[in-house]
Amino acid sequence: MSEQSKDVCDPNSAAEASNSEVHSSPGVPGGLSPPASQAATLAGPESPPLGPTDVPLASPPPEAPSEEGDPKALQQAAEEGRAHQALSTAQPGPAPPAPAQLVQKAHELMWYVLVKDQKRMIIWFPDMVKDVIGSYKKWCRSILRRTSLILARVFGLHLRLTSLHTMEFSLVKALEPEELDRVALSNRMPMTGLLLMILSLIYVKGRGARESAVWNVLRILGLRPWKKHSTFGDVRKLITEEFVQQNYLKYQRVPHVEPPEYEFFWGSRASREITKMQIMEFLARVFKKDPQAWPSRYREALEEARALREADPTAHCPRSSVSED
Amino acid sequence: MEEGRAERRRRTEALSHPQGGTRRAGVMTDVHRRFLQLLMTHGVLEEWDVRRLQKHCYRVHDRTGAVEELEDFINNINSVLESLYIEIKKGATEDDGRPVYALVNLATTSVSKMASDFAENELDLFRKALELIIDSDTGFASSTNILNLVDQLKGKKMRKKEAEQVLQKFVQNKWLIEKEGEFTLHSRAILEMEQYIRETYPDAVKICNICHSLLIQGQSCETCGIRMHLPCVAKYFQPSLEPRCPHCNDYWPHEIPEVFDPEKEREAGPSKVSKRSLRSRQH
Repeated sequence: MSEQSKDVCDPNSAAEASNSEVHSSPGVPGGLSPPASQAATLAGPESPPLGPTDVPLASPPPEAPSEEGDPKALQQAAEEGRAHQALSTAQPGPAPPAPAQLVQKAHELMWYVLVKDQKRMIIWFPDMVKDVIGSYKKWCRSILRRTSLILARVFGLHLRLTSLHTMEFSLVKALEPEELDRVALSNRMPMTGLLLMILSLIYVKGRGARESAVWNVLRILGLRPWKKHSTFGDVRKLITEEFVQQNYLKYQRVPHVEPPEYEFFWGSRASREITKMQIMEFLARVFKKDPQAWPSRYREALEEARALREADPTAHCPRSSVSED
Repeated sequence: MEEGRAERRRRTEALSHPQGGTRRAGVMTDVHRRFLQLLMTHGVLEEWDVRRLQKHCYRVHDRTGAVEELEDFINNINSVLESLYIEIKKGATEDDGRPVYALVNLATTSVSKMASDFAENELDLFRKALELIIDSDTGFASSTNILNLVDQLKGKKMRKKEAEQVLQKFVQNKWLIEKEGEFTLHSRAILEMEQYIRETYPDAVKICNICHSLLIQGQSCETCGIRMHLPCVAKYFQPSLEPRCPHCNDYWPHEIPEVFDPEKEREAGPSKVSKRSLRSRQH
C-alpha cells in the first residue's frame, strides 16, 4: 500500500481526477483552479462538473470556456502526462505514450469498469492498475479522467471513489430522476426481489435474521434450501455465498448456540446502495400496506433520507444497482 | 499534434461529424444513457425486453418525445459508441431464432470478459468445452467428454464433481446452454466471442451459408456440406414448396423449422416464454 502512495498514481488524486462533484457544487468556491472550471463547462448541462480540484502538475494557461472545452481538457490531460515527463527529465524514464495509446487505455478501463459493475464485483483500484493500466501507471490520472468523462457522457455514470481506505470505486448513476428501474423489467429478474426480501426482513427485525426465519419467508416464494430452483439455481448457495461475496449480506454464526445456527445481516454494499426508504417502499408494495404500518422503521427511514439530503444536497441518491436486476 | 487534437475531437464529442456519410451522427440524451446503463446491467436481452426497456427510458426522461424505431435508436447509439470500440450487437438464438441484443466490446480478442469471473482452471475448462463444441458435428459437447478433459486443465487440479458445478456456473452466467446432458454456446457467448472464436479456430469454425456468421448449431446439406442456422433455414425456405440446397441444388433433406414470430410468442403468454428460456436450466 505504501508503494501506491509514493507513486504518482495514487487513488485519492486519481479519484479527484475522476469526480469533483462531491467537492464542487453549483456555488463553485473561488479557490478552484482554472482547469476544473474548464472541465465544469465541458461536461455540459446534462451532467455535473467533472475534473480535478487540484492539479499539482503544470497545466496549460486557462482558456475561456467554450463548446470546444471537451477536447481541450483531454489534450491537457495528455499534456500533463508529458509535462510530468518533463519534470523528471533527470531519469531516463519510459517514452511517453502516444495520445492514441492513452485513449485506448481509457477505453479499456471503461469496459473493465463496466464489466466489473455488471458482475456486481468490487472495482478495486490496485486491480485496475494491475489488469488494465499496467505500465502506463504514470499516466493513470489522465487515463482515469478520460474514462470518467466517457462514462459520464455516454452512459450517464459517475466513477466514484467510495472508500479511500479500501481503495474501492463504484459506478454511480448520474441521471435524474432517481427511481427504481425495476419497473422496466421487474418480472424477468427476480434476483432483486429475493435480496430485497431478505434485507427487509433483517431491517424490520432491527437485528440479524436467523437463517430459519429467512427460509420461512422464502417459503412464501416457493423456495426451499434443498430444492434447486429453475431461475435461482441453488438458492442456499446464492444467499449464503454469492450475496455475501458481493457484500450485500453478511452470514455469521450465532454465538453460544448449539447446535450451530447462522444469521444474516446487511452487508456493507447493501448499506451503501440501498436506502431505508427503498426498503419501506418495497415492503409497502409487497404487503400492499402503507409504509407507515411499520412506524418506527418508517421514522428511521425518514431520518436517514433527511441526513442523506443534508450531507450532500447536490449528490444524487446512491445508485441501487440491485434495483435494476 | 493538430492531428491528435482533431482525432480526439472526433472521438469525444457526442455530436460527431458525419464520417464519409456512412452513418448519421448520433446524439446522446439521457434516454440513450439510461438505456445503455440498463442494457449493460442485464448483459444480454431478448428483443421484446429491449423494446420495453426503450419505452421505459422514454417514459423516464422524455415523455413527450416519440419513441424512435428500435433499429434507428440502436444505430444512433452505436454511432456514438463506434469510437469507443464497443457496440450494441444484435444476434439470434440458434435454436429458434429469437433476436437478442448485447453490448459487446469489439476490441477484445480473448475470453477476457470472463477472465475476472473465473479462476484459471475454470477458464481453461471453458476453453476445452468450447473446442469440443466447435469441433462437434451437432454443435453440442457431451458432459462426459468435457469432464474427461479435467486432468488436462491448467492451474489448480480440478475434480470431476467440481467441474460439473463449474459447468453449471457457466450455464447460470449465460455462457453455455445445457440440453439433456450436452452443452452448447449460449447466444450471449456467440455474440460476445464470435470474433475471438473465428480468430482462434479458423479451420474448425463453421459459417452459415446464408448470413455468413458463426455457426454452432444448424442444418447441413448432405451432398455438399454447406451449413445453415435453423432460423436462416426457416427464412430462406419459407416461400418455397420444394426446398433445395442453395449451393448444390440437391433436395434439402431436413425438416424446415418455422420462422420466429414475436406476435405468436406474446399470444402464448409470458409463462410459455419463461418456460422456454428456463428450459435449459431444468435438471
